[in-house]
Amino acid sequence: MKKHAVSSKVLILFIMIFFYAPIVYTFIFSFNSSKSLTHWGGFSLRWYQKMFASSDMMSALWTTITIAILATAISTAVGTITAIGLSKSRRVLKVFTERTNDLPIMNPDIVTAIGLLMFFSALGIKKGYTTMLLAHVMFCIPYVMLSVSPKLRSLDPNLADAALDLGATPFQALIKVIIPQLMPGIISGALIAFTMSFDDFIISYFVTGNGVNNISILVYTMSKRINPSINALSTVIMLIITIVLILINIIPLLKKKEIKE
Amino acid sequence: MKKFIALTLSAMIIASVFTGCGSSASSDSSTNNESAANGNKTLKLYNWGEYIGDNVISDFEKQYGVNVISEYYDSNEMMYTKLQAGDEYDVIIPSDYMIERLIKEGMLQKLDKSKIPNLKNLYDGVKNLAFDPDNTYSVPYFWGSVGIVYNKNNVDKADLEKEGFGILKDTKYKGKIYMYDSERDSFMIALKNLGYSANTDNEDEIQKAYKWLQEVNDTMDPVYVTDEVIDNMANGMKDIAVSYSGDAAYIISQNPDMDYYCPKEGTNIWCDSMVIPKNAENPELANEFINYVLSYDAAYNNSETVGYASPNADVLKDMTSEGGEYANNNAYLPRSGYDKDEIYTDNEVLRQKLSELWIKVKAGK
Amino acid sequence: MKQFRSMAYPYIIWICIMIVAPMLLIMMYAFTTKGNDVTTFRFTIQNFIKFFSDDIFVDVLRRSLLIAVITTIICFIIGYPTAYVIAKASGRKKIMLIMFVTIPTWINMLVRTYAWMGMLQNGGIISKLFSLIGIDNLNLLHTSFAVVLGMVYNFIPFMILQIYTSLSKMDYSLIEAANDLGANNFQTFIRVVFPLSLPGVISGITLVFLPAVSSFFIPKLLGGGQYVLIGNVIENEFLTSGDWNFGSAISIIMTIIIMVSMYITKKIDVGAKIEGGDAK
Repeated sequence: MKKHAVSSKVLILFIMIFFYAPIVYTFIFSFNSSKSLTHWGGFSLRWYQKMFASSDMMSALWTTITIAILATAISTAVGTITAIGLSKSRRVLKVFTERTNDLPIMNPDIVTAIGLLMFFSALGIKKGYTTMLLAHVMFCIPYVMLSVSPKLRSLDPNLADAALDLGATPFQALIKVIIPQLMPGIISGALIAFTMSFDDFIISYFVTGNGVNNISILVYTMSKRINPSINALSTVIMLIITIVLILINIIPLLKKKEIKE
Repeated sequence: MKKFIALTLSAMIIASVFTGCGSSASSDSSTNNESAANGNKTLKLYNWGEYIGDNVISDFEKQYGVNVISEYYDSNEMMYTKLQAGDEYDVIIPSDYMIERLIKEGMLQKLDKSKIPNLKNLYDGVKNLAFDPDNTYSVPYFWGSVGIVYNKNNVDKADLEKEGFGILKDTKYKGKIYMYDSERDSFMIALKNLGYSANTDNEDEIQKAYKWLQEVNDTMDPVYVTDEVIDNMANGMKDIAVSYSGDAAYIISQNPDMDYYCPKEGTNIWCDSMVIPKNAENPELANEFINYVLSYDAAYNNSETVGYASPNADVLKDMTSEGGEYANNNAYLPRSGYDKDEIYTDNEVLRQKLSELWIKVKAGK
Repeated sequence: MKQFRSMAYPYIIWICIMIVAPMLLIMMYAFTTKGNDVTTFRFTIQNFIKFFSDDIFVDVLRRSLLIAVITTIICFIIGYPTAYVIAKASGRKKIMLIMFVTIPTWINMLVRTYAWMGMLQNGGIISKLFSLIGIDNLNLLHTSFAVVLGMVYNFIPFMILQIYTSLSKMDYSLIEAANDLGANNFQTFIRVVFPLSLPGVISGITLVFLPAVSSFFIPKLLGGGQYVLIGNVIENEFLTSGDWNFGSAISIIMTIIIMVSMYITKKIDVGAKIEGGDAK
């Protein structure tokens, strides 16, 4: 058993190095004084100054984070509920929904993007924050459903029935019995949805308008020269995430202490 | 209960779709009302990413008491796609051939030259270019040429002068070249080297150019890059690269071993210019913005930040004369008036053909 | 349990609006000729003929599928043990590990890819490490290795998350039962644990394979332009050559091919489930 523990530690270490090497690289180069993304020219904070001075970047950061949070919340809720409903539905509906869900995952983003662009234009909808949010919800839900469905399949079908027999309303059965069982799937679905929304460029690009940009749009359209401020921005995002995580992990500990006292 | 859940959900979803659209429309109109009430307007600028001076927008906003919102693109076609879908912008900065196309398709409006007195600042070499002979629709923003950046220590200038773009096929430099990943520019290089026009639609000539590029791909082991070329050449990663003059100017300023050469067989001269689309909401302000960009200060700030050649004659002079930022840099100021140099013309069939052939060149082997 | 059935209906309406309708527009492009206009609607299958009559396009598609398969296999080989270790970890540590796996994906993909470019190129940190052991001037950038590395890096978190999901909260009484019946750890894993985690494996494969086939930025940046994959061709048709009709046709051909291969995978999944049932 001990050998096991060692090899799993080595594996995790290897994965962490693999995952975080580019992040550390980005972090280091955010302090580079030269414009190069590959060669070190000395320490400087100029990219941080430039980033905070750029209203474009600050508003893009806001758009990205709010859209990602909203899209994740909506798509996780809708995706989970739909997946549960679908597991009890007729086969035809199930197959139809699953295949349709595969489309946005499988299609190159540009195809989805052009489809949505033409669709919104045909309806004469003004593009901006709302259209971007709608599109994000659209492509996030399939990921949530894909994560929840495997858990649903291994769910004991008698569980909910038992709850209903014991006098629970369907709503109670859903909240108290089914959803807790699906939790790991729901969480990983939400994480993937957040990632997808955070990272999306092409779809966002074609469904947005009126000056609403997200970070990806700024990064990808830096056609005339990559601006190292994006390294600074990435570092700041990393910092925000770390702080939030530490808080999430520390607050429960503090509460426990309070209760003990 | 089940009906209740179903109904609530569908109501929520449908409501989100419709209020979504509604609210975006209403919030737009409310901001418009607000700005009208305050007397300040909003200019929607659609520009290449990282293609404007650090202070140009903030200064314009301050000086005119207006608000500028920007969106960005990284290819003319991306911009065209959104424009065609009906998105509204006040000022766009497309390239030459795209402007020709937008004019042809009636998507632009004429400039109000009475609002643009700074037109007099234009450098002679960028006035009245072929795609818009009287500057009726467009005012130049940045311009430049396509040429070769090379390492003076490792590349024999005599080879360059003898072979021109043909140096890209010289196996002496195998594995040491960067090609620019753009079908139009690559075919221009091949066509020019073969002695044809860059705008030819002669099938035979295009096929010969296709063979030319295939030969480069198969024998020279080139790497196809876009913006990375700037960083990589500044660090001397390879000896020869196809590059835009403005990028070359930056490379040379970073790495004195590098130099820039425009072959005698002629090359492409390009010009990105400001235009006002037909559906602009604020054409008056758009004209004022164009005028502002032509002013010395704004043009200087633009060129200083981006590093491309300014259309403003005085800025060009100050940048290249003694003590200027690009005093001894022979890439900054593109040559003008050389009769073998060409501006791209718009030809949709040709564009599609070249783009497909280009994919085939790269996918080959 | 039929009570919950109706909960799926709103979403079905939603996908008809948001997924099916735009896809129909793409279909329309694929079966018509030039002229981005509904009024000049002319039916044709020319776009499809053009694709199959040209070796290069078929070749590119084959190459894309191959790279996606390799990526998926590597993601699975590294991802499964990782997910297994995470699923076995205790409460708080488990959550931390999952967050560690996910957080890198919240940094923009292009930013991370640029970092890889810097590390992989000649003179970058990796070539410097290799020169310590005597291998000089190693340039990994612009090779197939770089492309696969970039893809694995980008997509493996999804594989890990999916497998982790199906491994955690697994019914451990089954494992105990197997052990009680005299199965050793390895046998238990092969006969009980692995079959039970299969739905997650399939989801993981879906989430890696599908985007890998059509990925576009990674081959472009890490492959140096020579690695033209089908995603690049489609992107090029839409954004450079402006031939939406042909671009749409290629994406539909790709969709159909992938759908068929997914269908086969699902069949295997069903087969495996029956086998898993036997193990019970």
